[in-house]
Amino acid sequence: MSGHSCSLLFPVEDDREYSMSDYQGAQARWCPGCGDHSVLTATQRLLASEQLKPEETVFVSGIGCSSRFPHYVSSYGFHGIHGRALPVATGIKLHRPDLHVFVVMGDGDCTSIGAAHWLHATRYNVDMVALMLDNNIYGLTKMQTSPTTPEGYRSNTQPMGSFLPALNPIEATLGVTNASFVAQTAEWMPAHLYATLEAAYKHNGFSFVRILQRCPVFTGDIYQDAVRNPDMIEMLEHPDGVEVPDLHQIYQNISRHDPRNMDAARELAEKMDRIRVGVFFRDESRPRYEETRHLPLHTTDEKIGILNEELDKYAV
Amino acid sequence: MKKVMIGNHAVSWGVQRSRVEVISAYPITPQTQIVEELSDMCADGRLPARYIKVESEHSAMAACIGASAAGVRTFTATSAQGLALMHELLHWAAGGRLPIVMADVNRAMAPGWNIWTDQNDSLSQRDTGWIQLYCETNQEVFDTTVQAFRLAEQINLPVMIILDAFFLSHTSEPVDLTDQEIVDEFLPQRVAQYKLDPSDPHAFGALVRPDAYMEMRWQQQEAMRDTLRVMPEVDEAWGALTGRRYGAIEEYRTEDAELLLVTSGTITSTARHVVDARRSSGEKIGLVKIKMFRPFPTALLRSALAGADRVAVLDRNISPGHGGIFAEETRSALYDVPLEDRPTLFGYVLGLGGRDVTPSVIEAIVDRTREAEAPERQDLWVGVEL
Ligand SMILES: Cc1ncc(C[n+]2csc(CCOP(=O)(O)OP(=O)(O)O)c2C)c(N)n1
Ligand code: SF4
Ligand SMILES: [Mg+2]
Repeated sequence: MSGHSCSLLFPVEDDREYSMSDYQGAQARWCPGCGDHSVLTATQRLLASEQLKPEETVFVSGIGCSSRFPHYVSSYGFHGIHGRALPVATGIKLHRPDLHVFVVMGDGDCTSIGAAHWLHATRYNVDMVALMLDNNIYGLTKMQTSPTTPEGYRSNTQPMGSFLPALNPIEATLGVTNASFVAQTAEWMPAHLYATLEAAYKHNGFSFVRILQRCPVFTGDIYQDAVRNPDMIEMLEHPDGVEVPDLHQIYQNISRHDPRNMDAARELAEKMDRIRVGVFFRDESRPRYEETRHLPLHTTDEKIGILNEELDKYAV
Repeated sequence: MKKVMIGNHAVSWGVQRSRVEVISAYPITPQTQIVEELSDMCADGRLPARYIKVESEHSAMAACIGASAAGVRTFTATSAQGLALMHELLHWAAGGRLPIVMADVNRAMAPGWNIWTDQNDSLSQRDTGWIQLYCETNQEVFDTTVQAFRLAEQINLPVMIILDAFFLSHTSEPVDLTDQEIVDEFLPQRVAQYKLDPSDPHAFGALVRPDAYMEMRWQQQEAMRDTLRVMPEVDEAWGALTGRRYGAIEEYRTEDAELLLVTSGTITSTARHVVDARRSSGEKIGLVKIKMFRPFPTALLRSALAGADRVAVLDRNISPGHGGIFAEETRSALYDVPLEDRPTLFGYVLGLGGRDVTPSVIEAIVDRTREAEAPERQDLWVGVEL
């Protein structure tokens, strides 16, 4: 999402400075240790650093634990319908392009019941930030297999373990024609999470960010090893993507990846040997749906004038 | 075999005993336990069915439609938003004359988000052509599930079994799980009259022109009319085997009653206590429980209610711009009762979004209905204006 906020380009009428606490909504009621807390903090930090006016910012979500997000941010919010956050956000952004639109979805919300919208929103490329908080499970309804649940992982709907390989959301998003920003990060790497959110916000177009998220209650073991062992992580870095030098000490698998290179992005997305975080793909030149909206060339009065002129030519 | 179980599991056991072959569902509170128990049963072999995990309720109903058209016994369960998302396919299931059985755990519609009981979800699907059966106890839930398959397959219409969120879905009661042999005797394997069969190819769902469309609807309506006859027969056949029967409506202590309560779902149990208490102090009061809402048991209701002075209908639902839905349907059923026998009807809207309906709430309704000169309006909102 681009940063052409009025408050950044023009002198702000009220010269109020926003701090992180200005974006604090209701007390977050996620479980202790839930990765969603970390995403909330990073997001509030971004809002403060970009000085986004709460009244010009909208958080749209679906239904799920993660979708409670808008309640916890002091801004406009729409806690909507399971799977439908993206079309709601598209409606908001097309009518009010001046607003900063953030979408928060769970893996079920985005890749299951809302999958059709995910595909089309990626292609429409409307300027907004879409966060997919991926805990590999339906959390709110208490542990049912989601499309991103690892193969063999037991749940209440697949007690013998999920039989299919998990959906790879990065690979899938990269496969959609006209994708313009596709990134992955992890909530237990706050500096990386922040840098990725910032890049997503600054991107002009639809920024899709998959955030690996721990759910200690239902899928506590899935990311456990990766959290403990930085060797399992690889950071994709580039000046056009994200670079987090502060983390180089801890995460030593660093590879340079030019996010303009779609072929390389797809190859990296397919590889399962490590968890790769960073911007896989970014291309700001892709057409955006909102650009197809034309203002009428003439007002009604002008049109009547032109018509009358034409008709006068045939006066009898 | 008697077991203590929640209402959701009473549905799962009914499905197990009915030897369902294909189950497809998407989780939603407060229904989820029904399908979680079923996926356990499929996994551990108690139920040799295929469990299709899908990406939404829309797909769940679509999968049931496909499987049912292929000739097998199918089941799904949902609540509120999930049921609403199925809407298009509910028409398809009924119009396609597919005997799919679904459990709906009555939950309030959003917004505002609310997971508690309220009948507006199922009643919003009133005109999709599904038979609707409302339950009062976990035993009735189990029995109705088994009966639903026989009814559906006999009449070629889909059946919705409806139970209250939490008051039934999550509340434990003893349930007599009828032995498999008895269920097998009652419910033989499905023999589909029409099905997708490569050895006898037919297509389903073709374009129907104006010259035939109306006849299709007529046949559906005839099947609904037949249901008024067949449902009590099925109930009686089950009753002969198990001793448990429910009727399309139930009349409880209605003889010589001047005031009759009309209820559905778990409010009925609470109302029974109030009726018993009032009867023991000599009041002429009774209760009519509506179990089958579609097809609407007009004639049965008419004869049950005619002659009383006053009828109070308790609706845990509202048709915005009209009134409580059971009240309005009951009112129209009474239209043909001669004026001298026609009771005055009071429609009470209460308990929306899971608000508790306690005995004292019903006591107050009884007193008010007795004392009021006439209803002030067609819908009287208990706890809001009264
Ligand atoms: C139409 C509909 N179907 C089902 C539900 C029930 N439901 C609520 S959230 C959810 C899944 C949530 O999983 P996810 O999107 O991964 O979010 P999480 O809770 O894990 O953050 C489901 C199935 C619903 N609210 N609406
Ligand atoms: S259940 Fe899991 S995802 Fe939901 S709030 Fe708790 S920890 Fe977070
Ligand atoms: Mg999830």
